[in-house]
Amino acid sequence: MSQVTARLRGRYDRNLWFAIFVGPFVLGLLVFVYIPIVWSVVLSFFDAHNTVTPTKFVGLGNYLDMLRDAAFRSSLITFVVFAAFIVPTTFVLSLGLALLVNRARFAKTFFRSVFFLPTASSYVVAALIWKLSIFNGVRFGLANTVLGWFAIEPVAWLSVTQPPWYWLVIVSARMWLQAGFYMILFLAGLQRISPSLYEAAAIDGATGWRVLRYITLPQLRATSTAVLLLLLINAFQAFDEFYNLLSSAGGYPPYARPPLVYLYYAALGQGQDFGHGSAGAVILTLLIAIVALAQGRIVGLGRRDD
Amino acid sequence: MQRSGADKAGSAVRYVVLIGGALLFLLPFYLLVRNGLSTEQDITSPSWKFFPSSLQWGNIGELFRDPAVPMARSLVNSLVIAVVQTAGVLVISGLAGYGLARIPFRYANAVFYFIVATLLIPAAVTFVPSFVLVSTLGWVSTLRGLIVPGLFQAFATFLFRQYFLGFPRELEEAAQLDGTGYWGTFWRVVVPNSMGFIAAIGTITFIGSWNAFLWPLVIAPDQNAWTVQIALSTFLTAQTINLPQLFIAAAIAILPLVVIFIFLQRWIVQGVERSGISE
Amino acid sequence: MGSGFSRRRLLGVGGGLAAMAVAGCGSNTGRDTGSGGSSSGSKPALAQWYHQYGEAGTQQAVQRYAKEYPDATVTVQWSPGDYDKKTAAALLTDNGPDVFEYGNGPSIDMIKGGQVVDLSDLLDDTTKADFTPSLMARMTYQDKLYAIPQVTDMQLLVYRKSLLEQAGVQPPQTVDELLAAAKKLTTDKVKGLFVGNDGGVGILGGPALWSAGLDYLTEDNQFGFDDPAAVESLRKLRELFTSKTLLLGAPTDWSDPSAFTQGLTAMQFTGLWTFPAIQKALPDDFGVLPWPKLNASTGKPSVPVGAYGSTVSAKSKNVDAAKKFVKWLWVDQADKQLDFAQSYGFHIPARKSLAEKADKLKSGPAADAVKFVNENGHAQTPILWSPKSGTAYSDALNRIIKSGSDPATEIKAVKAVVEAELKRITG
Repeated sequence: MSQVTARLRGRYDRNLWFAIFVGPFVLGLLVFVYIPIVWSVVLSFFDAHNTVTPTKFVGLGNYLDMLRDAAFRSSLITFVVFAAFIVPTTFVLSLGLALLVNRARFAKTFFRSVFFLPTASSYVVAALIWKLSIFNGVRFGLANTVLGWFAIEPVAWLSVTQPPWYWLVIVSARMWLQAGFYMILFLAGLQRISPSLYEAAAIDGATGWRVLRYITLPQLRATSTAVLLLLLINAFQAFDEFYNLLSSAGGYPPYARPPLVYLYYAALGQGQDFGHGSAGAVILTLLIAIVALAQGRIVGLGRRDD
Repeated sequence: MQRSGADKAGSAVRYVVLIGGALLFLLPFYLLVRNGLSTEQDITSPSWKFFPSSLQWGNIGELFRDPAVPMARSLVNSLVIAVVQTAGVLVISGLAGYGLARIPFRYANAVFYFIVATLLIPAAVTFVPSFVLVSTLGWVSTLRGLIVPGLFQAFATFLFRQYFLGFPRELEEAAQLDGTGYWGTFWRVVVPNSMGFIAAIGTITFIGSWNAFLWPLVIAPDQNAWTVQIALSTFLTAQTINLPQLFIAAAIAILPLVVIFIFLQRWIVQGVERSGISE
Repeated sequence: MGSGFSRRRLLGVGGGLAAMAVAGCGSNTGRDTGSGGSSSGSKPALAQWYHQYGEAGTQQAVQRYAKEYPDATVTVQWSPGDYDKKTAAALLTDNGPDVFEYGNGPSIDMIKGGQVVDLSDLLDDTTKADFTPSLMARMTYQDKLYAIPQVTDMQLLVYRKSLLEQAGVQPPQTVDELLAAAKKLTTDKVKGLFVGNDGGVGILGGPALWSAGLDYLTEDNQFGFDDPAAVESLRKLRELFTSKTLLLGAPTDWSDPSAFTQGLTAMQFTGLWTFPAIQKALPDDFGVLPWPKLNASTGKPSVPVGAYGSTVSAKSKNVDAAKKFVKWLWVDQADKQLDFAQSYGFHIPARKSLAEKADKLKSGPAADAVKFVNENGHAQTPILWSPKSGTAYSDALNRIIKSGSDPATEIKAVKAVVEAELKRITG
């Protein structure tokens, strides 16, 4: 064996074994994550209609077009509105469920399972139930049936923009799907709180809200931060339920169009405009990378020795 | 300890809330089954019917016989994709995680950063670049195109690495004294002793794969390559909606996961706890 | 999802909506997934694409036709999902169809981009004269014919006779009467009118102009509705939307008869193709009307008329074989054309000689519908009305109808887009 090969293989063939174990994954990551991203950055500087090997360089033109595009900006606003609804409500709901389940004396596993079960459903299935059965605009929809008991007229939940009832549909569907997931995280956090803290509080005569306020919530800080950031990042990536609830034969309505839905139509909609689509993808990627970096800073993700 | 009256009352209130909440959370499942086993007349009846006047089990057969709805084909596609992707992720990320955790390599740090850097960017946001690449490979509407890009999950690798870092070294050392190499140690000692963790990552991957929507939508326009989610989504707004049929299709689409949830919940909960927070 | 059938889009605000609704994209294959394969024996292999027709049996019928063709192995691809978008994207790749149908023939961009071939030589003069002239004109650009019309589709108002009688309402002749009728017909169980879950954004764009005596473009291809009557007409759509008499959020859309047959609405704007289903559910309890004129002094009643045209892709490896197949199916095989037109959903044959033979269109509401086509028919959108123009108009309609934007301002914005598009296409 030549010296070079021997060196490449390392002591006890460690380098070779490292390559065998880690190599396939790194190679896949390179091909299916890094190359597309680099390629896309290149495309974003070209006029790339219906081609992935463009020749017409347009500099920052695509980026300027995107930032000037009112629809793109409104998609970011849609995300902000959506996040403003979904993050606090899901947070409170899942924390509440976790507290209730955690203190249940019997049937604890049953309740945990029930609240967790919706996580098994896909957004497509949830959208289907919400759109066609709960929130359809006609009298046999469940929501309208309930309104009917109080002699209130049926509401066309997804068809009207004044008031924007569609937010109720979108937000409630996502809450149903996600609350159980975050409840599990909170339950795990609750179980890590040392019982001695509660005992000490009991000796001090603290009860109910005060225990929650001064012991439980502070002890859940790490979990809460993680949940908030996960909620935010997931909201940024929202696509499935918007698409399945709102798009129709006539296309997607010009409201409630979050960033990924916008990007989907911009990049793969009118012909395949990879120049603008890539520019949009790069902008969104940067935005989310900033959020994720903040997350890394806060919860310590990615440190080698954690 | 004596429980005070207030305590008892509080407990009762908690149970009322829990039961009410549980009913609300189960409601959509009930609607799925109710509508799926009804006739169209029962669903659209002006007065609400809690139960169909007669259970239409025939709806299931009709669904699979309808030539316009490629239900069987898309279920098979979804199953193949989810199974292959889950197995692939477990093997690829398991190996990589172990390598990163246990095999000394001068540039291991650089490799690790190369991997975690991609964690900053969720896959969904890069669907345009991925589409560009995969369509150039000619993989549009193929199982390859649906499966392969999903095999390389940086997060799974990260979790495996963290897990193996905490794996008891004594077990491995015993094996290595017998002259077993990394490969043998991994498969004969580490894997059999990590089945719980593998099951947790596996179930989470399977669920994500089965329920995926955006990527299949982008990459598999052809009916033969539809997953069950795409089939449902397409018919959700198709020209002629057969309500009971659509609901029974959705119920069938969700059934495998509900079964998994009921029987493998322990692993899923573990997987969620691990994937939710990195400790 | 951009639902499967372009027909309802086709009969909607023309191509614009079609371009907006997106489902599948990318290179779709007809050839390499079907059994056609790249070659099978000595016969050429052809991929033929259809959008999803909702009526049971249509898919089996077109597959049967394809199988009977002796000179090539034809594989039919049936496409629920967004057909227009999918097809437009596939034409850019090498995996597109050889033969495909497209609403009102290929788009102006496909023609100008050289993506479709000239079919003029498939028809001799007498055959050519047998096709409905307005459809032929719509599929012709600079004297070249780019598609063979398959069947004529049209849409119109259907109403429940019994419900109108109960409410003491006469079939409305003006938009104001329509609004009043919808109001009287609305009860706590039934809504007065259904024009789609989007409140008419998708389908009333054309009728709103025609009923005001206007059109998308003028005869000399200038923007056609910068006019107070258009403002008034679009304002009526907003009034309708806010009147609480409109059915909104139904599980099925306007192109499906379910809302009407399930008794959710007393009147519905829908397509001729729904008649077999309506007749079955409500035998002899329905009548038909065109979309009424704006008011006693302005405009005319109207119905939109369109046709899917069979087209050959320029990228086909067997252009000649593809053309021969189109001629065989849509020109020579009269019995198949008649079967296609009236055995599944109702359509009007695209050829006069066949329309006369279509027995099912000779009586009842279907006969009235045919009369409307002849007396009040308008081509859905002009050939120069590009997808981009269509998108601009439908976005404007959306804002006017749903959010109450000022129609005059919105029309001005549409005009700017349309004029730029006209300049791009003709300039």
